[in-house]
Amino acid sequence: LFRQTYLQMYFRTQISQDPDVASAAAAIRSLLEFLKRDQSETLLGLRENLTEAIRRLGEADSSVAVSSGGELFLRFITLTSLEHLDFSQSKNLLVERGELFLNKISLSRNKVAKLCHTFIKDGAKILTHSSSRVVLKVLENAAADKKRFSVYVTESQPDSAGKLMAEKLRRLNIPVTVILDAAVGYIMEKVNLVIVGAEGVVESGGIINKIGTYQLAVCSKAHNKPFYVVAESFKFVRLFPLNQQDVPAQFKYKADILKTAEDLDKEHPMIDYTPPSLITLLFTDLGVLTPSAVSDELIKIYL
Amino acid sequence: MPVEVALSERIEAFLAELKRGGSGAGTLRGSGETARETTALLRRITGQAQWSSAGDLMEIIRKEGRRMMATQPSETTVGNMVRRVLKIIREEYARLRGSSEVTDQQESLHQLLTSGGLSEENFGQHFKDLRANVIEAINELLTELEATTDHIAMQALEHIHSNEVIMTIGRSRTVEAFLKDAALKRKFHVIVAECAPFCQGHEMATSLSEAGIETTVIADAAIFAVMSRVNKVIIGTQTVLANGGLRAVNGTHTLALAARHHSTPLIVCAPMFKLSPQFHNEEDTFHKFVSPHEVLPFTEGEILSKVNVYCPVFDYVPPELITLFISNIGGNAPSYTYRLMSELYHPEDHEL
Repeated sequence: LFRQTYLQMYFRTQISQDPDVASAAAAIRSLLEFLKRDQSETLLGLRENLTEAIRRLGEADSSVAVSSGGELFLRFITLTSLEHLDFSQSKNLLVERGELFLNKISLSRNKVAKLCHTFIKDGAKILTHSSSRVVLKVLENAAADKKRFSVYVTESQPDSAGKLMAEKLRRLNIPVTVILDAAVGYIMEKVNLVIVGAEGVVESGGIINKIGTYQLAVCSKAHNKPFYVVAESFKFVRLFPLNQQDVPAQFKYKADILKTAEDLDKEHPMIDYTPPSLITLLFTDLGVLTPSAVSDELIKIYL
Repeated sequence: MPVEVALSERIEAFLAELKRGGSGAGTLRGSGETARETTALLRRITGQAQWSSAGDLMEIIRKEGRRMMATQPSETTVGNMVRRVLKIIREEYARLRGSSEVTDQQESLHQLLTSGGLSEENFGQHFKDLRANVIEAINELLTELEATTDHIAMQALEHIHSNEVIMTIGRSRTVEAFLKDAALKRKFHVIVAECAPFCQGHEMATSLSEAGIETTVIADAAIFAVMSRVNKVIIGTQTVLANGGLRAVNGTHTLALAARHHSTPLIVCAPMFKLSPQFHNEEDTFHKFVSPHEVLPFTEGEILSKVNVYCPVFDYVPPELITLFISNIGGNAPSYTYRLMSELYHPEDHEL
């Protein structure tokens, strides 16, 4: 039990020390730490402990990204080919592989930004939603490429994350305007393209993202504006929601509300689901994908 | 690695022809011929140039490929063939090394998890069989290229039924062969939109009627009006883009919208060598403008100083408007394009 609380503390310190790190990456790093300190003697025991640890992490941060990061790490444990019969040797190999995996995914945000910024043309007006570190990197790359563009950011209540995004953009000298969430329809005729991040990319090719993204997507479809999603590949998650109610409740609400709320129906959800028919293209570190290509990528890993 | 004098002369001659042949929508050579000539030239380079390892050969081909693409950016088949050959080289190299790396080379979530160490393939190993193997594989590619139109035409009977009214636009050799093949067994009616200002539709109509097909030529403006009588729209294209969209002759987007409005299926006959890993965001290379003389002749005089006249050659058609792609390997939905691309080209070759 002591180990489990240590895990949550480790996770929280990761996030606070490096606010730029993706929450899934922080989760994977915490799980790697856990793996190093684990005392089990068999692979099965290790796997059970890890499953428990992932569940505990989910209690600290109930977002989709942490869940997908944990799932991927578990998958990584089962996919590694272990030729060594000795368990301690296998464990060392796992830890080594884990470090390598972490290195690779730390590069993925840059790969995504490199792919996406060519789609931003000179003089473009971009609309984005809430605060996303990947979108920020994309816009940073485009600005470094000497492109002139302006950005509209939705305020994104209830946590006003959009204002934070606007601050970061101002520091990069990009002209930015914060708009009300309700003003999305009003502003849509002015913008040229919409770029959003994603907390999770589901099997159908749709995305799970901050509440208000679905609205944004419907509006941009109505106005025939391209709707681009930027996400790293470790956010691909094995879910297939058919509608908004289908998204599991553990992702919709913050961890503390899940514990204390009496009637979840009365709580405000923090995320929504955007179906693939509204998405034009997804930019990932695996390349530029159409929504139909996402399920292919997922099948490849969960063969 | 230097390229021989005779070989470089041939490359220069090819480049000169590319530059000349790309004027106007009425290309002096069809894209099939361009593809075949590019592949033959690449085979010659493989055979005659000096190289010792796969990496060197790939560098030479990339260099020549870039030059060829720079000469005529709108002729995407050149770049596509270069990418095909690069993939062939990778495959032959992997086969000689004896590894199953062919499938592992694709970037995937799976590969991220299972590969140990960053896969930095430098292709440095020397194999004496590599030259012969690559040339043989390129020969297979050439045979495939020669047979593409026939393979597409073979599928015609599945799609065209008796007494149907088919609409097409401009002139496409692939669609011509397609319709002529169906006409051997079925009786149907074809309406050809003339596709101003080059009016290639006229030549198409003449050619089709010589084969005994009942043909009607209409002006582009009449497309929407006539569409309600049409059962199917069958068109060719210059390029198939990575998202399943098209870069086709101007007027195709109008045709596609009219077909969508009337819920008429839009079938695109495009051989695999037209599939390109580009998207339509590339401003500089996507559109091509030619002399506006066809739109407003210079003889008009005074008015020319007061008016801006443009003559674009291509149109972008988004994938949502397309029903089916018929290629030499069969029929596919536009949403499946990504898969065909991953089979034809290696992701690292998308940017040459």
